[in-house]
Amino acid sequence: MNVVPPALERLIADLNHLPGVGVKTATRLALYLLRRPAEEARVLARDLVDLHDAITLCSNCFAFSETDPCAICADSRRDSRMVCVVEEVADLMAVEKTGAFQGQYHILHGVLSPMDGIGPDEIKVDALVSRIDRQQVKEVLIATSSTVPGEATAAYLTDRLQSKDIRLTRLACGIPMGMDIKYADELTLTRAIESRKKY
Amino acid sequence: MSPSFLQTTAIVVKVVDYGESDKIVTFFTETFGKITGIAKGAKRSKKRFVNKLEFFTLLEITVIPSRRSSLCLIDQANLLNTFPGLREHYHRYTGAMLMCEMIDQWTREYDSDVELFSLLASTLEKISTCRVKENVIFFLIKMLDILGFGLQLDHCIVCDKFETNALPYSFSPARNGIICGKCRGQNDIGMTRLSISSIKTMQMSRTLPIDKLSRLKISSQSLQEAADILRLYCRFQLQRDINSWKQFELK
Repeated sequence: MNVVPPALERLIADLNHLPGVGVKTATRLALYLLRRPAEEARVLARDLVDLHDAITLCSNCFAFSETDPCAICADSRRDSRMVCVVEEVADLMAVEKTGAFQGQYHILHGVLSPMDGIGPDEIKVDALVSRIDRQQVKEVLIATSSTVPGEATAAYLTDRLQSKDIRLTRLACGIPMGMDIKYADELTLTRAIESRKKY
Repeated sequence: MSPSFLQTTAIVVKVVDYGESDKIVTFFTETFGKITGIAKGAKRSKKRFVNKLEFFTLLEITVIPSRRSSLCLIDQANLLNTFPGLREHYHRYTGAMLMCEMIDQWTREYDSDVELFSLLASTLEKISTCRVKENVIFFLIKMLDILGFGLQLDHCIVCDKFETNALPYSFSPARNGIICGKCRGQNDIGMTRLSISSIKTMQMSRTLPIDKLSRLKISSQSLQEAADILRLYCRFQLQRDINSWKQFELK
């Protein structure tokens, strides 16, 4: 005998597909939604449908947006000749939160990861190269993470863009704010010394 | 009774993000072979694991084995070498990735092999500065030998002879060996042609000790032939393709 109603069972199975959500969490979430007023579930369902109907990729920077071009690319106050290359949308949000960058972005949607079958053709590298020519970009700031795949992706981009007449820069790498120097590893400390700047 | 914690020198061969802030890391260790562990809060950590649980790093680790699963809890990691050259050039990175993927695919957990560990560590060191493709190919040939799956290149597997005038030789992944032109016959489907110089270089790379491998010179044609048969042979043995080959061969 099936004790779980089929509709609830289907929802648990669907939620279980989400990253980091196991069967127990999925069951808890499904039961929570069931206990809430039906209208709340309808709003959630509508928002989920809208996610794919309303949101698209900006054809210029490949950010998720409801318009094409996105708000950042369409903003005339931003410098279109300066492009910051990031791995994911979440990285764009992190850089944007600083308010320190006034150019446009280019989202690669991943990093080079041969073990996962992700090479240059699988991320938006060709689109970046053609964008540099199209927009007459003057500076490309490579803001990939300082992980091994992020650094390797930065190295690949540097090789690809070397022949272009642009200023190629990389996010500085060193001691994070509030960190005790004696806890820094050798590589971080070496990078910090190499990218030291004059007071 | 199993020990409460394990301490060993290790190389990170695989890293997978797990949840908000955890990482699942596969190590190839000197003492215990391949082990996989979870590092809680590794992505947020500013002191404990920062820049340590990264691909190819050589570490001194302390892990706590779990009674309920094969996943250990990574307790400590001290950095010994990051091989910075591997992240500064894309072709070095793809070479190191291929080696790590091969180690991950060809070895079993808790099957220790000191020789294989030292081969991996020394090859990562070498390719972080020079001769990526040669060293990776020599590593793969040597690795298969150490694991008991070495390529049979000494003589034709049909007539048991090795004659330089019985050319051309072909490699059969299914039978793991070379077949001379006289014995091959008409049906050579799935076989790859091998020149005599490629066979000799590969034979030498099997016999030379690890520290002398860098003296061996190999032509680009032999290198390509060796890469072709290794890829074919690994695909046949593992019954799956190694993802990193695609990017490695582009360079």
